[in-house]
Formats: sequence, structure tokens, C-alpha cells
Amino acid sequence: MRIKLYSIFVEDQARAIDFYTRVLGFEKKQDFPAGGTYRWLTVVAKGRDDLELSLEPNANPAAKTYQKALFDQGIPCTAFEVDNLEAEYARLKAAGVAFTQPPTQQGPVSTAVFSDTCGNLIQLYQPPR
Amino acid sequence: MLIQRATFRRLCRARDLLTEVTEPLSIAELARRAGMSQFHFIRQFEALFGTTPHQLRMKARIDHAKRMLSSDQASVTTVCMDVGFASLGSFSSLFARRVGMSPSEYRRVHVQVPDQLLAPAHSCFGVLAQLPLEAFRNFGEATHPGALQDSVR
Repeated sequence: MRIKLYSIFVEDQARAIDFYTRVLGFEKKQDFPAGGTYRWLTVVAKGRDDLELSLEPNANPAAKTYQKALFDQGIPCTAFEVDNLEAEYARLKAAGVAFTQPPTQQGPVSTAVFSDTCGNLIQLYQPPR
Repeated sequence: MLIQRATFRRLCRARDLLTEVTEPLSIAELARRAGMSQFHFIRQFEALFGTTPHQLRMKARIDHAKRMLSSDQASVTTVCMDVGFASLGSFSSLFARRVGMSPSEYRRVHVQVPDQLLAPAHSCFGVLAQLPLEAFRNFGEATHPGALQDSVR
């Protein structure tokens, strides 16, 4: 048994794939029709396939409610690891990304939080070196 | 950009107001309530929510119209007025552009099968079962094109 797939809800799959690839820099791995106008859409970190992130439509009202409740409370729905948080913060800010928390030291880890434009806040963290 | 906590809360509130079709506050008024210029309001709103205030309002109106058309007996004109459009022509053409069919056609298709409205409630794990074999291919296989064909055979 292993963890291979993780999913987050997104408001708009077309906007999500643009943001997660063009802005964040992930690579699209899978894109298949999944019924109606929805797609089975996943991304991976560049050059890796150890974990896929599925960008799942939040069509279910329960998903919308869950997503909005987390967002409005400022709670990230997931976290991505980076090697250099300050550099990523500068790069993404220059690309127009909205951060709700600048790089902040929290114990041994530094973190920052941004909006993915699809209804989620995402935390970036740099583990201790 | 960095959005401070108080501004974040005000932008979330503005988003909520924009999705209430019965609360047609102008964008200028929403910006004023959020305590910033209209330019900064639109810019920060779009960076946070991925859509402009106006686009979000139009989407909320169309979504509301879709719900009314599939569940109410109200005429298309009444739906148009209820969701905040003054002209039936602009409502119908925007609806057709966004939804791919006219309001009356949408009603005809959806009112007969209301259960379909709940159909998008699938989960990603339900979808997994319907995926083609290629979906489970990994990068290792991708570098050896023969591998997939072999596994399919």
C-alpha cells in the first residue's frame, strides 16, 4: 500500500490547470473526460511521479461548503514543500499570486500561504535544512 | 501581492454579496465597503478568487437562473428579471454563451430529469473506475512505449 493520489477541490478545472502548470510550475499528467463537462485532471511535480494531485471539480454542494469554510477562515487545504521559500515567494508574487501570509518562521519550519484562484488557500513550507 | 487579514475578510464579504442576486450593489459601492479604490478592489479580488467581481456576479446570476429553470414553473422572462437582468435579450444571449443552449432549451432538457442536477456529485475515486488503462501508466512506462501496449495485450 502506498500514497499515490491526493485530490483537492477546484472551482474551475480550466482555470486550475492553467494556474497549477503555468503559474506554480507543475506538469499535467492526466486529462481524460470524466462525465459531463468534467475531466479527470492530475498534475505532478516536474520530473516526478511519486504523487499525483487530482484537481477535482467542486460540483457537489458539500464540496463547495467545505472549501469555502476553510478558505474564509484562512485555513490552507493542503501544503507543498519548497527548497527555498523566499525565492518561491518572490517568484509567485511577481507572477501576480495573492499571498495571505508572507514567509514566516514557525518553529523549525518556515511557511507562507497563497490563494490558488480556485477556492483554496495553499501553504508553502520549507523544511529545516 | 500580499493581502492583509482585514482586507482578506472584506474581500470574502464582497464575494458573498456579489453572489447574492437580490443584492445588486455596484462594484464601486463594494469597493468602497471594502475600503479601497475600485482599481485595487478589482485587482486584489481577481488575484484572490481568479475572477473579476463582474464575472463572478454574472456567473452567480446564470447559476441561479439554471436552478430556477430546472425547478420552477416561472416564465423565462420572470427568471430573467429575478436574477437581475433588465433585458431578456441580454439575459438569453449571455445564458446561451455560457451554458451552450437557450434558457428554454435548458429547461426542457433539465426539468425532465431533475436527478441529473445531482449527477456531478461524483468523487474522484468513483471516476477512477471509469478511466482508460492509460490513466494508470507511470512515467517509467512512458519512456518505454512498448510497455503499455504489452500490458494492454
